[in-house]
Amino acid sequence: MAAAMVSSAGGLLAMLNEPQPTLKHHALSHLNNLVDRFWPEISTSVPIIESLYEDEEFDLHQRQLAALLVSKVFYYLGELNDSLSYALGAGSLFDVSEDTDYVHTLLAKAIDEYALLRSKAVESSEMVDIDPRLEAIVERMLGKCITDGKYQQAMGIALECRRLDKLEEAITKSDNVEGTLTYCIGVSHSFVNRREYRHEVLSLLVEVYQKLPSPDYLSICQCLMFLDEPQGVATILEKLLRSESKDDALLALQIAFDLVENEHQAFLLSVRDRLPAPKTRPVEAAQAVETTATSNENPSGDVQMADETPAQTIVHETDPVDATYAERLTKIKGILSGETSIQLTLQFLYSHNKSDLLILKTIKQSVEMRNSVCHSATIYANAIMHAGTTVDTFLRENLDWLSRATNWAKFSATAGLGVIHRGHLQQGRSLMAPYLPQGGAGGGGSPYSEGGALYALGLIHANHGEGIKQFLRDSLRSTNVEVIQHGACLGLGLSALGTADEEIYDDVKSVLYTDSAVAGEAAGISMGLLLVGTATEKASEMLAYAHETQHEKIIRGLALGIALTVYGREEGADTLIEQMTRDQDPIIRYGGMYALALAYCGTANNKAIRQLLHFAVSDVSDDVRRTAVLALGFVLYSDPEQTPRIVSLLSESYNPHVRYGAALAVGISCAGTGLSEAISLLEPLTSDVVDFVRQGALIAMAMVMVQISEASDSRVGTFRRQLEKIILDKHEDTMSKMGAILASGILDAGGRNVTIRLLSKTKHDKVTAVIGLAVFSQFWYWYPLIYFISLAFSPTAFIGLNYDLKVPKFEFMSHAKPSLFEYPKPTTVPTSNTAAKLPTAVLSTSVKAKARAKKEAEQKANAEKASGAEKSVSESGSGKGKESSDKEGDSMQVDSTATVEKKAVEPEAAFEILVNPARVVPAQEKYIKLLEDSRYVPVKLAPSGFVLLKDLREHEPEVLSLTDAPTSTASPATGAAAATQGTTASAMAVDDEPQPPQAFEYAS
Amino acid sequence: MDPQLTEVSQQFERFKAAFVRKDYSTCSDLLSRLKVLLTKFTSLPPLFENTPNAAHELTLARDIYEHAVVLSVKTEDQDAFERDFFQLKPYYVDARNRLPPSPQENLILGLNLLRLLVQNRIAEFHTELELLSSATLDNPCIKHAVELEQSFMEGAYNRVLSARQTAPDATYVYFMDLLAKTIRDEIAGCSEKAYDYVSISDARQMLLFSSDQELLAYVNEEHREWEVKEGFVVFQKAKETAPCKEIPSLQLINQTLSYARELERIV
Repeated sequence: MAAAMVSSAGGLLAMLNEPQPTLKHHALSHLNNLVDRFWPEISTSVPIIESLYEDEEFDLHQRQLAALLVSKVFYYLGELNDSLSYALGAGSLFDVSEDTDYVHTLLAKAIDEYALLRSKAVESSEMVDIDPRLEAIVERMLGKCITDGKYQQAMGIALECRRLDKLEEAITKSDNVEGTLTYCIGVSHSFVNRREYRHEVLSLLVEVYQKLPSPDYLSICQCLMFLDEPQGVATILEKLLRSESKDDALLALQIAFDLVENEHQAFLLSVRDRLPAPKTRPVEAAQAVETTATSNENPSGDVQMADETPAQTIVHETDPVDATYAERLTKIKGILSGETSIQLTLQFLYSHNKSDLLILKTIKQSVEMRNSVCHSATIYANAIMHAGTTVDTFLRENLDWLSRATNWAKFSATAGLGVIHRGHLQQGRSLMAPYLPQGGAGGGGSPYSEGGALYALGLIHANHGEGIKQFLRDSLRSTNVEVIQHGACLGLGLSALGTADEEIYDDVKSVLYTDSAVAGEAAGISMGLLLVGTATEKASEMLAYAHETQHEKIIRGLALGIALTVYGREEGADTLIEQMTRDQDPIIRYGGMYALALAYCGTANNKAIRQLLHFAVSDVSDDVRRTAVLALGFVLYSDPEQTPRIVSLLSESYNPHVRYGAALAVGISCAGTGLSEAISLLEPLTSDVVDFVRQGALIAMAMVMVQISEASDSRVGTFRRQLEKIILDKHEDTMSKMGAILASGILDAGGRNVTIRLLSKTKHDKVTAVIGLAVFSQFWYWYPLIYFISLAFSPTAFIGLNYDLKVPKFEFMSHAKPSLFEYPKPTTVPTSNTAAKLPTAVLSTSVKAKARAKKEAEQKANAEKASGAEKSVSESGSGKGKESSDKEGDSMQVDSTATVEKKAVEPEAAFEILVNPARVVPAQEKYIKLLEDSRYVPVKLAPSGFVLLKDLREHEPEVLSLTDAPTSTASPATGAAAATQGTTASAMAVDDEPQPPQAFEYAS
Repeated sequence: MDPQLTEVSQQFERFKAAFVRKDYSTCSDLLSRLKVLLTKFTSLPPLFENTPNAAHELTLARDIYEHAVVLSVKTEDQDAFERDFFQLKPYYVDARNRLPPSPQENLILGLNLLRLLVQNRIAEFHTELELLSSATLDNPCIKHAVELEQSFMEGAYNRVLSARQTAPDATYVYFMDLLAKTIRDEIAGCSEKAYDYVSISDARQMLLFSSDQELLAYVNEEHREWEVKEGFVVFQKAKETAPCKEIPSLQLINQTLSYARELERIV
């Protein structure tokens, strides 16, 4: 017999009207089971059931049953608010573990409601009555999640509802506390929008971390950095350093490197200052500290890192424990000051430089001589291409051509040296010496090159300007030439980035008050750089002056400066933003857009996006509209996939300024990602009808495609050819031509070994990079600011370090086809006659050198395969150090060149072996694997960046691969450069550092 | 035999005895006790479990509710009638294939139709009608109700009143009386709309009263707003009609214009 079902709830509903409570109860409990089918019938009787619920005489269970029934009916009617309030009345009868749509929906509703109330209570700091029943339901849900092992959900709910106590409970009860914590940190960064609340969460996490039996110091320190608690970090570092175990010390060093990666200069300095000075032997210890101390205050700006060793050896003899401690302390201070990583990066970029001089040569030849815009664009492109590599061959070979740069072009040509030598802290000053203003007013040099040199010094020492600040201040004070003041202001701002140094501020301010347009603009920016992220009252002072002055340039500089001060302050900046965006003056509003961008950078905050979109379509000034769209790029860079979607409509706007902004927004937020949607969006813009839109699109495209190989996206190749075509086209507009030249520079930036990255690997914002791009986007008004893009470059390298902070030979595997991530192939000599006829003296040598290198490589490859194992043993003699590393260097080349050759013949290998230090592009990171029987084990599993390696065979002598002789590992291009300057090359082999290139003078 | 079932049967016997005695208050007491007892049977709607005594229990329960319906007519309690009828209905509709049809079924259904007619719930009346099979429609009980409704709708009120004599069952008489009143109310409602005033004699004729006194009593009880003066019944018509709402044209124009402006600005 088929299971019979009632066809109507009418009978039961009628029973509700019966006088006896038993019958009512009977009806209620049956209705409760049937409500899913008969809610339309029951809904007409809701008033009766409601009155049952409100009937005081009824017993509690029945009232709750009635409430549950009404709640269900309301749920079906779509009245979730009513449904929720009755579900609350149902008390324990509302079963959170029930697996029905009704329960799911209402739980979501309850949690939303509760979260809303909680955050309202916290944010408005007034008492908001929260229904205890609501709280009970949410707590039941949390409890259930925890018991069911759904910790992530529990944590999410707890975070959303601001129940830190529950969050802690969820974390501590979870089966994998470490994993949960990591997850929680990620969640708190991406979903917790309010700054203060995020801080609360993070401090809780730190607390939990510290309670663990084996705390994960790496993560703790990251959190502490966010909380801006240098003392905590210092304590942890000290503890680790004092430990007996070498592993702990390695960990401490690793922590230091990770902190440095986030580029929070002020924080790093205060950590460093809080680390104690070694105590035991005052003399030696003092000496050891002095080395770092002097190196920072050294007026010459040259740091002698080598000094450490003698001090350490003396200490070693006296007291081994304290001695090692002191030695470690010195090391860690070196790292924290940023010098170690900068030095290593410099070595890496120098030795792995793969820039293609032929591209520059083509540009140079195709650019018309008299066109100064393209001329200086070529100089910019060269600087960007060689950023941080210290290779200035191109400039050297084209002194004549270079001398055509006059006035401001000369300024930027000189400043370009700063980009090329970026990070060359030790010899920066001596490099620039020929161009620097000489003591006294009667310096012979042109003020333009002098100003440029000061700017260059700032670029070299960007964010690490301890040593150079004083000199720049002196230069600023001792001059009253606008151009030099301009350079000095920019230089000071860069070198003292984010330090909020009062004295410097006053110096710069006095320049501002001279009310000279050129100097004032730089002063405004400089003040902003100095006060990055401090949100001081000085901003209002600057705003007041911006209203006072007549010079648009100064107003613009100040507006940007004010925007810089609120970097990352989120809600804290709202009043200032409000003030600026409501201003009468479009330039101040323009600054307001930057303020919005920087205050909310990387947060993807909906409010900020809404505001920006509003300005992008409603402001009367094109500048403001353009900037508003551009600012979206900054707000969204933590979530690059979003940007193309959001600006896609704007990129089709009738207003070219908005289109330009859209292009750059995509360029900024998707920089270095090679995101397919981003490229699709930019592609049509590169052939826009308006010249400056083309310019912006080309630059943005280059930013997106930096380090993306043709193998992974074929459009990269198309784009390169397009650039070449634009540059060679005689009839192309100057603006887009300039864009194309700059784009080809950015595409091959930093010797093809850097990418643009606004987030560190731990997903923290990189202050310098963000600031760099923000100021870079100002190049619309002032070309020399193009160089600020170099601040956003970060090397894509895996650099393994041993305990002595040296780079040992260490192999690891990239489990992907080599062609996916290889360097772009060097361009060949164009077949067209015009190009071939031109004298290419250096080219021929470089080609020869290349051929030679290849031949050698092939031979060595065979040899090495045979003797691979023996090598490390046979070449262990310390005297042969240079020779052995020489071979290592060559073998590295084997990896790159040999694979390329192989590819043509046989099917490509599925993996390649990389040798420390190696180029690992961001997309490649997920393929990096360690070899199993490797001698070294990394302290932290990281596919790129600085990684401390634990030596499993400590007693065997180590083979170092990079530090000893950078020349031998040089690429063909630099090899050619070295060949032309025989003397320098030999000197380099002796010196620890790449020799500074010889100075050159302008012919003019 | 199941002790519960035995108890229910015994109680029911006593109920029937009291029912025959026309001792209706005892009946109500017993009935409410019976209903509580019935909730214990899982074979009854809405569960319909297949217990061994299912058929017996169902029949018994149906019997009880049928009696309950008739009892409510006797006690002239319309609410109880409705309640009991709805509880009875599943036995007719859902348990149709488990039970032999009840001899009382058509009688009860007809009563219910009549009740709906009396309460002037015409929509529900037709809904119920739709649910009945064509065979049932020919049943005299049902047919009676259907014809009544037709006359009622046509306005052939005299036919309705004369139908009292042709009622198929004694229980129908109660509703027929009520129906007369419903008709009167209907006529009163119509006259109110149709006339400003009517002479008393006409009113008496229309409202089917035999004397003026009855009419006046009726006016006093049911329609206090009517006025009786100078031999006329004056209907106080609620003539006030809500004035047409003005269209806020100016505001609408402004709004549309601002939309147009905004649209122009976007993109």
